[in-house]
Amino acid sequence: MLPFIRAHDITLVFQSKNRDPVTAINHLNLEIANGEFVSIVGPSGCGKSTFLNMLLGLLRPDSGELQMDGRTITGPGQERAMVFQEFGLLPWRTVTANVELGLELKGIAAGKRTKRAMELIRLVGLEGFERHYPHELSGGMKQRVGLARALATEPEVLLMDEPFAALDAQTRDLMQSELLQIWERTRKTVLFVTHSIEEAAYLSDRVIVMTARPGRTKETLKIQLPRPRDYEMRLTPEFNEIKSRIWEVLKEELMPGSRR
Amino acid sequence: MKLKTFYAEHESFILGTGFIVILLALWESVPLWYTLPKGMALFFTTPSKVAAAFQQLLINGEIEKHFYVSAIAFLAGLGLSVVVGLPLGLLMGRSQTLEALLDPYVTSFNASPRIVWLPLMILWFGIGIWSKIVIVFAGAVFPLLINTYAGVKNVNRVLVNVVRSFGANEWQLMKVVVLPNSLPYIIVGLRLAIGRAILGVVVGEFFGSSQGLGYMIASAATNYKVDVVFVGVAIFMTLSVILTLAVKRLESRLASWRPETAKTF
Amino acid sequence: MNAKDYYTEHRRLVLGVFSVIFLVAAWELLLTYVFPVNPFFFTKPSLIAEAFKEQVQGAKLWHDLAISSRAFLWGFSFAVIVGIPVGLVMGWRRRVEYALDPFLTAMYASPLVALAPLLIIVFGVGVLGKAALVFLLSVFPFVFNVFAGVKSTDALLINVIRSFGGTEKDLYFKVILPSTMPYLIAGARLAIGRGLVGIIVGEFYAASEGIGFAISQAGDTYRLPDMFVGIIILSVIAVVLTEAMRRLELTVAPWRAGEEVR
Repeated sequence: MLPFIRAHDITLVFQSKNRDPVTAINHLNLEIANGEFVSIVGPSGCGKSTFLNMLLGLLRPDSGELQMDGRTITGPGQERAMVFQEFGLLPWRTVTANVELGLELKGIAAGKRTKRAMELIRLVGLEGFERHYPHELSGGMKQRVGLARALATEPEVLLMDEPFAALDAQTRDLMQSELLQIWERTRKTVLFVTHSIEEAAYLSDRVIVMTARPGRTKETLKIQLPRPRDYEMRLTPEFNEIKSRIWEVLKEELMPGSRR
Repeated sequence: MKLKTFYAEHESFILGTGFIVILLALWESVPLWYTLPKGMALFFTTPSKVAAAFQQLLINGEIEKHFYVSAIAFLAGLGLSVVVGLPLGLLMGRSQTLEALLDPYVTSFNASPRIVWLPLMILWFGIGIWSKIVIVFAGAVFPLLINTYAGVKNVNRVLVNVVRSFGANEWQLMKVVVLPNSLPYIIVGLRLAIGRAILGVVVGEFFGSSQGLGYMIASAATNYKVDVVFVGVAIFMTLSVILTLAVKRLESRLASWRPETAKTF
Repeated sequence: MNAKDYYTEHRRLVLGVFSVIFLVAAWELLLTYVFPVNPFFFTKPSLIAEAFKEQVQGAKLWHDLAISSRAFLWGFSFAVIVGIPVGLVMGWRRRVEYALDPFLTAMYASPLVALAPLLIIVFGVGVLGKAALVFLLSVFPFVFNVFAGVKSTDALLINVIRSFGGTEKDLYFKVILPSTMPYLIAGARLAIGRGLVGIIVGEFYAASEGIGFAISQAGDTYRLPDMFVGIIILSVIAVVLTEAMRRLELTVAPWRAGEEVR
């Protein structure tokens, strides 16, 4: 069966005015099946966020093929939506207006948009906050708005760029569980970039470890934990085993000198 | 290609100066491609004529004379505003009562054009240098005052507590924490004050005056000596730019440790 | 609540009002009972109040205000129409910024009022001359504040819009413009201040009508109370407009409530 998302031999070089060019991604290969929850972990600067931006369509690879559902990705599209680490909410819009943003840009009529936005606000647990402004919300709440906004346009793929990195530990745990719940209900394809091995192991079907810069896929590990997952699973020896396996792979890339 | 990299690295400078040069060249060339109607020709001048007039005025000592008068008014007024504005700003910053008492005056004087007081100043102080000094003072003191007390008010609570915990009294507190912390704000206030002071000199000398660069401009305008007008304007422009740049340089040097300074335009 | 509680809560307001009342009362009492008053050089609040009443009931004050307002509005409107687009383009296109920045910064830093005599001589002493001066003075705050506003647009938000497939038009209307709003209003506040200087200087210099002219004429004829009336009215208008702008800034940008732009 053809993979849903396919990255073949991707290379991206960043040209800079005053410095030498930087190869961010070098001959990267990746495949993701429909409905999979895949995490990408890697050392800082390995290009995982860059890769996500390429999938989003905001960056083009210098060489290689990037395809979704058989078609080459040439720019942003309604089938892919991103959740950003710094939330990216428009500060002058209410929660509802922010969730509606994608629908608005698609040209959906006001009445329909608001109705859909309300559904999603309920889904992410922000009922009662429809008319609040971002600066009145906590970090976790802001990210829920970000999630609602991304889901509003009914994308097929959810791209998440370290979405919980800016939250405190407790909120982060809470959001992870909620994300899983929402995912179980909607079963989108999710590509989740994170620094946290624990987070990656807990959430995903598969974890892809990237090499240090210039990045490419080092190894893929399948997470053999049953679904639906709950918090207790994180305390089991099986989970620890999985974590240490990932760590073994990642460790090599974190050594000084592994950056090329 | 060498030329291309040179351009790329100095693009902002090239475009910026290029624009000014082109403007001046266009201005200079107007008489060549457009004959002005008789009436307009009286009001028209070109950069080269302005330069010639400048040279002439330098030679016969006119500029020196007027410049000297304007400079005195400027420096005296600015000096006075520092002497009054800085201490008052510090006091207002530390005392909420004082701030509340003076606030209505500060807000209304700052928001209204201080130029309105000029006729009264002329009435009281005559057309000598004092009315100018007062107007310069009135313009320059407010940005200094306001920025100083904003700087004092915004001093980091935590730092104050730290210094207090070592047993510092009010005076030491000022010296060690409040003043250094307020310095960037004060410098910004100074920059604004300089701009307002120059404005005060210009406008003060337009009316009821017989000396000074502002007077030179006004009387030249009445006599249709447009080139002299531009000489005066150019002198003021150059002075403003130089002074503003100098203070900005000072700002970045003294305020490099601050994440954001008082924003001003 | 009783007086003490009211005082603690509204301390600033109480002290401020007290301060003004005290000053006015002291002024009046000192000049009535203590110092001999030379009416050619001094005046007192009661006389000013009388003159105020007379002027408000008469027709000249309103006529003068109308004249001045007309010229001001003309100049100011053109400053808005010209200044905002220039600022937008400068902020959005780097090349334009490079080309215009040095020139416009020099102009902004200079006392453009120095050109007032020239403008009046060229355009005459009517509405055109004054409006031209107002325009010249108030256009720059708009240019520079809009420019700063555009440049300060959060790059992340631009990516957000792009990620949803937004067009250039969407970028402008949904991110850049709202983001620039607070700066624009701050610019308007500064522009009003400068524009008022323009109208007053224009009318001091050479005019036959208008509130600025009224003030200087009252000065020439030693009618101090009338002079003060004009000064006070102009100051009140300036304060009201400036405060209105500050309030507007806060409503438009509540998420920036802590920042001070002077």
